[in-house]
Amino acid sequence: MSMATIRSPQALQYLSVVGMSRDSQVVTEQWLKSEEHYWLPITRRPQGDAEKFQSLAETWRREVQFLSSVTEMVLHPAYQRIIGMGAAVVPHLLRELERRPDHWFWALTAITGADPVKPEDRGKLRKMTEAWLRWGKEQGLTW
Amino acid sequence: MGQGAGADLVSEEIEHAFPRLKLSGYSITSPSSPDYNCIAWAASDSERWWEPDPFGLYYWPEEAPLRVTLEAFMAAFATRGYQPCENSHIESGFEKVAVYVDAEGRPTHAARQLPNGLWTSKLGKSQDIEHELEGVTGSVYGSVAQFLKRPINE
Repeated sequence: MSMATIRSPQALQYLSVVGMSRDSQVVTEQWLKSEEHYWLPITRRPQGDAEKFQSLAETWRREVQFLSSVTEMVLHPAYQRIIGMGAAVVPHLLRELERRPDHWFWALTAITGADPVKPEDRGKLRKMTEAWLRWGKEQGLTW
Repeated sequence: MGQGAGADLVSEEIEHAFPRLKLSGYSITSPSSPDYNCIAWAASDSERWWEPDPFGLYYWPEEAPLRVTLEAFMAAFATRGYQPCENSHIESGFEKVAVYVDAEGRPTHAARQLPNGLWTSKLGKSQDIEHELEGVTGSVYGSVAQFLKRPINE
């Protein structure tokens, strides 16, 4: 069996028209999902930037939570992979900062070369977050 | 801290990272926060993250070298009135700080002594805890390398 034989949702809708019961539809949906997963497991599916960022961010948060040094935190492979995503990840970083402030400043500075935080606000997470969100808006970014 | 499964999970994670805490006892005294770190907390500052980072993104006292060395950290605490001392014994009229270092002698953590003789630590971006001095020694923070003290009313 090849990927080409996996039925599409449109085919399922057609089947319902020709007289499938609701129970049969549920069984068929589950069968199609399991068949799709068999041929294309989640680990082999291409990830979008948002999904990839969230996965890496979660790993990073969990594994550096007890470190006292941001300099050590940013050396974590997940954080380095986020930096490696380049400019495409900046809106995701800003969205994450807005939603759940954390130490994404090193990544933002490394990727963009910018440093919008006032000297007197260095180390103040909320002020640093505000400065970066303001910078993002000034750059015309949306997130 | 709240009770229930969430609090149990937090305790499990803390005890996994610092297994000595389970034996010596500890209590969680704050929610987690990325706003300040252990160095700031030991220096009684819960508003800023203290770090001698090479980008200069974080707060570090201007008088202290921008390096991750015990001497640089002692200089940072000196800006808040702390001077080296010999031991962790409670001394009337003084507040003490313990600086922990890893196997290479790089500072990893600091804890502040409380009037009851226990120590208060901020665990990275996680919670504040009260604990015995040796409770957080081990693979994450290494061991205590230096004690500092300052007059309480300074």
